Amino acid sequence: MDLDDELRRLFSDDRLDVHSTPDATEAVVRGAERRRRRRSATTTAFALVVLVGAGAALTQLPRSDDTAGDLLPTSTSSASATTTTTAVSTFTSTAIVTVDPPPNSNSSSSVKTETGQPTNKTTIPAIPAPPQPQAQPGQFGSLKLGMSEADALATGSLIEPSSAADPENRCKAYATKSVPDANAVIISPVRGIVRITVPGYAKTPKGITVGSTVDQVKAAYPNATQSGSTLFAKMAATPAWSYVFETDGSSVTAVLMRLDANDCSAV
Amino acid sequence: MAVTAVLRLELTADSGGGRAETVGDFAEFVRMSMPGLLRYGHALTGNPHDAADLVQSVLEKVGSRWVSVQRKGDDPLAYVRRAMANTHISIWRRRRRENLVADLPDSGVVAPELSRLENEPLWQALRSLPPRQRAVIVLRYYENLSEAEIANALGISCGTVKSQSSKAMASLRTRLGKD
Repeated sequence: MDLDDELRRLFSDDRLDVHSTPDATEAVVRGAERRRRRRSATTTAFALVVLVGAGAALTQLPRSDDTAGDLLPTSTSSASATTTTTAVSTFTSTAIVTVDPPPNSNSSSSVKTETGQPTNKTTIPAIPAPPQPQAQPGQFGSLKLGMSEADALATGSLIEPSSAADPENRCKAYATKSVPDANAVIISPVRGIVRITVPGYAKTPKGITVGSTVDQVKAAYPNATQSGSTLFAKMAATPAWSYVFETDGSSVTAVLMRLDANDCSAV
Repeated sequence: MAVTAVLRLELTADSGGGRAETVGDFAEFVRMSMPGLLRYGHALTGNPHDAADLVQSVLEKVGSRWVSVQRKGDDPLAYVRRAMANTHISIWRRRRRENLVADLPDSGVVAPELSRLENEPLWQALRSLPPRQRAVIVLRYYENLSEAEIANALGISCGTVKSQSSKAMASLRTRLGKD
């Protein structure tokens, strides 16, 4: 028996059809409208949270202004803060977000408090772990490139159990609280975390995120190299790492941070 | 049509002209793509109830952002399919501790002919696969996607697609051999 043919036969079987009720379309359209309205109803709150969330996401990405001029945000972006706490959640009733102060006011933080909606099922980008006080190279939230598996697990950002990340079953893959994909974080037994997938809502300090165009990536990272549809932007940091921008040829589909000295195959 | 009319009324009051057009456009998209998506969802989830739930929730989310989904320029249908595969995988991950045993669809809502699939050894074997392996198989044999396309759709590396696919095929063979 040829399994390939069997599978194709099964998947073309009429019995796979699911009969939808006549009002299915109507139900979907109404549901979509409800979701959209819920968003509009909380526009102010939502916009603020998203805005602040984006700011917070920015703070979580490494801002190696101490190590790499390449990574420096524009003058309007915030500088490294002394203290930063972030807690945005769909399920708590209050989200308190602290945004990094602008460069000229290093001593104060602007705090914005917004009352969330416990019943609101609309997905608000959940900002996972609070960023560390100092921005460090190769770090997203509490996860750092090079961090050992035990330390990574201790952050509480990983979702167990792990799965095999390579055919040899040497490296491990974890989903994270912010990225449900099973390969969100890849950990080598020797080098620690070798790759972190950044959530779709996060932006690099240069403003690149999922959906940015290839041209925007090249403009933001003029030293980026391209291999196939993937772009690599090396960061000056220790240990050396690169942003990996996976694209579909025209726009970014995933942003990853990857240790240059990475010893997991197929990563 | 009556529904569209009602929505149009609500929407003009809400935020003006373009919105109604968008809703009409989205409704048309849902009408056209629903049967295919349900089939695909059935292949993906292994049961018609979950297929219906998955299609409904993903389409609602997509519909609530229809304008920006369209602006992206991708094929919205491909976008919905990718979202379904990823949503299914993550839902399963959240639920697996509670539901180790796959629910058999209770009769009543499901058309009787569907239950006949349950007697197919290959169908049963597919149901025993973890969702990501299953998604890889569905994308490959149902959607006829290449390894690179599957990797892109699921946000995983080509190497992972290869390993998941070979694991899946191996366990399907084992299961079918044993049975």
